Amino acid sequence: MSTTADATTRGSATLEVTPRPEAPRPSGLVYLGLAGLAVLAFILFWATRDSGDILLIPLGFVTLWAPLYPVIGLAVMLLTLLVCYRARIGTMGGFGALAFITMSYWAGSTVNFTLLEIPSRWSNVEPRLRAFLDPNWSYIWTVRDQWLITISMAVVATLIGCAIGLVLAMLASPVSSPNKGVSQAIKAVNSVVRSIPDVGWALLFVAFIGGTAHGLGPMAGVLALLMFNIGIVAKLLSETIDSVNPGPVEAADAAGANLTQRNRLAILPQVLPGFVSYGLYVFELNIRASAALGIVGVGGIGSAMMLQLNRFAFENVAAILIALILVVLLVDMFSMYIRRKLL
Amino acid sequence: MITFENIDVVYPNGYKGLSNVNLQINKGEFVAIVGLSGAGKSTLIRTVNGLVPFTSGTLRVGDEVVDPRSKAKLRRLRSRVGMIFQSFNLVTRVSVLNNVLVGRSAETPTWRSLLGWYRAEDKELAFQSLERVGIVDKAYMRASSLSGGQQQRVAIARVLAQDPEVILADEPVASLDPPTAHKVMRDLRRIQQELGITTIVNMHHLDLARSYADRIIGMRAGEVVFDGPVEEATDAVIEEVYQRSLTAEDIVAGDAVPGRAVPGRAVPAAKLQD
Ligand SMILES: Nc1ncnc2c1ncn2[C@@H]1O[C@H](COP(=O)(O)OP(=O)(O)OP(=O)(O)O)[C@@H](O)[C@H]1O
Ligand SMILES: [Mg+2]
Repeated sequence: MSTTADATTRGSATLEVTPRPEAPRPSGLVYLGLAGLAVLAFILFWATRDSGDILLIPLGFVTLWAPLYPVIGLAVMLLTLLVCYRARIGTMGGFGALAFITMSYWAGSTVNFTLLEIPSRWSNVEPRLRAFLDPNWSYIWTVRDQWLITISMAVVATLIGCAIGLVLAMLASPVSSPNKGVSQAIKAVNSVVRSIPDVGWALLFVAFIGGTAHGLGPMAGVLALLMFNIGIVAKLLSETIDSVNPGPVEAADAAGANLTQRNRLAILPQVLPGFVSYGLYVFELNIRASAALGIVGVGGIGSAMMLQLNRFAFENVAAILIALILVVLLVDMFSMYIRRKLL
Repeated sequence: MITFENIDVVYPNGYKGLSNVNLQINKGEFVAIVGLSGAGKSTLIRTVNGLVPFTSGTLRVGDEVVDPRSKAKLRRLRSRVGMIFQSFNLVTRVSVLNNVLVGRSAETPTWRSLLGWYRAEDKELAFQSLERVGIVDKAYMRASSLSGGQQQRVAIARVLAQDPEVILADEPVASLDPPTAHKVMRDLRRIQQELGITTIVNMHHLDLARSYADRIIGMRAGEVVFDGPVEEATDAVIEEVYQRSLTAEDIVAGDAVPGRAVPGRAVPAAKLQD
């Protein structure tokens, strides 16, 4: 067909249009199976529902009671499946939507997560909130020694942790390690170190070397933060090393540099901004963590806070918390400034 | 002198990068290697310093037999053989001087490298190398603040700081504009003549190869298919190497020395004065 012929036939009813392909209809059978899954989930939820404490929610036209929740869950699941089917979403998509709803329903009901409870507890919360809103400012100065301990713990742990983390990162990344075996081994050790949280390390060290009661709290605290920092820095930095520009590394190799020289001369300068920024981040984490570590018997501002909490002196706790927020903000601003200078 | 005797390179994935290469490159010679993409030019040049280990045959650089399995021997070899790359491969975040000093690594104790505390002689050598490529005034600037041509000169200075017997250059001017490409090639040529350093350069551009080299080696599919002085590398011969006719892409033109870099005519190079 020539172009002129094309133009004359345009718009006429006889114009032949190639049929536009339609989005394929998802398999109804599979969707039926998914609905079956939803029913199975409902049966599970119904059987395991918590009938002990019954909550009534008046909606005006009907009053819901807690054991009815699984029914609502089932309705939402089936509705979602229907919408997915009508929108011709593939069976994997439908399964994903169903899984999302089922999992959030299940997880939420297991931890009894509901916002409906908050109003009924208000009378309990209110006086404490009042104390928090009226902090005892003079108390901040009273605990200056504890602040000093917290900050020195953070500084020492950050410096040593970053140094060890740097060495481990160099050994862990296949780009900078002597060989694959070393890299794999260090990576495995590092995941073990990281799998223990900071509070876990603190509990371990308090148990091994003694806590505040023996005057060793800060020592245990530094060791705990140290392990925590090594894990983070080694992980983040080794991933940064993985993605370093290989050109300068090859050039150093071609110039006859040994492994240490090439890592120092070609890799370290490339990852230095990242390294410094991880160090500052870890410092910030350390200050924050010291509040939690006080609970397990490590010295510093955390133990001061714990003491005041046990005395129900919420105005003092509030003062410490606000000071903590300020310090973390300051550290954050400082590290942003350094990062901007460095990059 | 560099000699290849029946050199084969088989890559770990089984691909044959070089097959039965026999070559003899004399001391102080300036050799250009030409060939289409994938012909094995980079592979050939990288076997010389062991960046690509050859799998059979015998390779000698000077009097030394290259052993790609001994890391210590390779490091010693590499200290005598400098390498220049297409993408310059500078550490862009540090100063020009520190980049040049990377070339002193083989002669520097590890603890000095770690502290970045170089001997005064090494620094002086680095300055001399920068002087030779004419950018000594940029010594304390960050490498990233230099132009492409200047960065490639820093890379040349880094090689010169090694005080090498051999310079290998893998497409040293492929990412530079034509006038800059000529300037950098002239630098390389001048250095080769002044210091008598054996120089092996991979080239995409035939006119550059003809203008600056003494000898041309043509490669195809991992084999050396032509080897002769520039005069013999006529268009017909190169077309035979490429297995296609020459096109405008095979020349860089630019501010070539007038009357030299004309494709379609074999030009003697060697006696290039600058
Ligand atoms: N590490 C490697 N593993 C497997 N095969 C490789 C490797 N490096 C190169 N090759 C193959 O070897 C052949 C020659 O590669 P080489 O890099 O030497 O070519 P070249 O002539 O330098 O090409 P170009 O002009 O594109 O740089 C190519 O086919 C390439 O795919
Ligand atoms: Mg190449």
